[in-house]
Amino acid sequence: MVRQGTDIERLGTGIGWRPEIAAEIAGLPGVDWVEVVAENICPGHLPVALRELRERGTTVVPHGVSLGLGGADRPDAGRLAALAERAEVLGAPLVTEHIAFVRAGGPLTASPLMEAGHLLPVPRTRDALDVLCENVRIAQDALPVPLALENIAALVNWPDEELTEGQFLAELVERTGVRLLIDVANLHTNHVNRGEDPAVALDELPVEAIAYVHVAGGVERDGVWHDSHAHPVTRPVLDVLAELCARITPPGVLLERDDDFPEAGELAGELDAIRTVLKEARHVQAA
Amino acid sequence: MSRRLEPVREPGTGSRSAVAPTASAPAIPATGTDAARQRLALAQTALLSALVAGTPAPEGFDRTRLGVQSRALTAKRSAVVAKVAPELPEILGDDYRPAFAGYARNRPMRGGYRQDALDFAAHLLAQGRPADPAARQRLTRWWRDRAGPTPPSAGPAARLARAVHAVRQALKGRWR
Repeated sequence: MVRQGTDIERLGTGIGWRPEIAAEIAGLPGVDWVEVVAENICPGHLPVALRELRERGTTVVPHGVSLGLGGADRPDAGRLAALAERAEVLGAPLVTEHIAFVRAGGPLTASPLMEAGHLLPVPRTRDALDVLCENVRIAQDALPVPLALENIAALVNWPDEELTEGQFLAELVERTGVRLLIDVANLHTNHVNRGEDPAVALDELPVEAIAYVHVAGGVERDGVWHDSHAHPVTRPVLDVLAELCARITPPGVLLERDDDFPEAGELAGELDAIRTVLKEARHVQAA
Repeated sequence: MSRRLEPVREPGTGSRSAVAPTASAPAIPATGTDAARQRLALAQTALLSALVAGTPAPEGFDRTRLGVQSRALTAKRSAVVAKVAPELPEILGDDYRPAFAGYARNRPMRGGYRQDALDFAAHLLAQGRPADPAARQRLTRWWRDRAGPTPPSAGPAARLARAVHAVRQALKGRWR
């Protein structure tokens, strides 16, 4: 049975807003909403192109990358306040972050604090889940709007994991009420790099908690999938999107491109391919 | 946080040890997650340290994959540094990426990307690099302009001082 998530705002089809493609995005037809990297914007000085999108009624969702809610420490109050401020300034219906750790060391380990500079996977263990749930509750208390968390793409596997990705996400949602941002490219990445079937993950996770879906391109090198966001979206990633849409109509879908930016026409084509998957899923559901 | 926890393990060696937190004066009320936080902290520190500080791979991880992840983090870090300090790839040319990879291999980022750019430049200069004297002079000037106690963008006085310095350098160059 296909379900429609309740109490989650419908966002539609969107694209990750980056300054390098601001002009292209302004001209793309049918962009219902955009996502901005929260740490890259300054609340008092929003880029003109972003302000113009807001004035046209385009929803803007801040997407944080530096909270590290999957880390061992409690989330930093200053970072949470900064994310909350961006949500307020943008009038966002929700904010999103990642299930990841981004730094380690410090007082708990008596070693110097190290920054990863990127998102690293949390071990799917009871310990990590307990810590994550408490960190999520702290974040929810500090944010003015609902929080949704994204599953990340992993290159490394933790040994001795106790839960599958789907089980981990399901329990996280049950215990915190947090919403999910499901990145279908990351499910594909974990398929190639960790042998985890996206269909199994989708069967296990609570799809009605999905706030929106990420779609991005990547590249396979030596049997390892690199979630580059710098290559075109490939068929296998759209197939995972179709798998997801066979289970639920997601309230929003967003295309991410972070580097090697193509012409506007190529971005429009990728948005069309996403819309086609959604449309075909609705046909299958209606049949 | 003024908590002191012991016993302490060497970073990069521990994974899931049974270290009990012995918080003597917790700044935050103790909750049920303190022991889990301690174990998670050690495990994540061991992994991150292997990825960015060149410590041995923690037990149970695929070394090849750790290498792939480590190089991916360095590539990303090097790309961000090139964005915040575009003069560095300009001065170093094709050597930028390999030089940065060599610098980053066992040096975790400590204070953001701007500090990282300064540390990278200082690391090269301390080794007498780049080999080309003109490039080394440009890099020295770049580093000196930014590493002082006053950031270059501090205000009109600093801008004026830099402008005077630049003019002097230009004149010196002409008369040489």
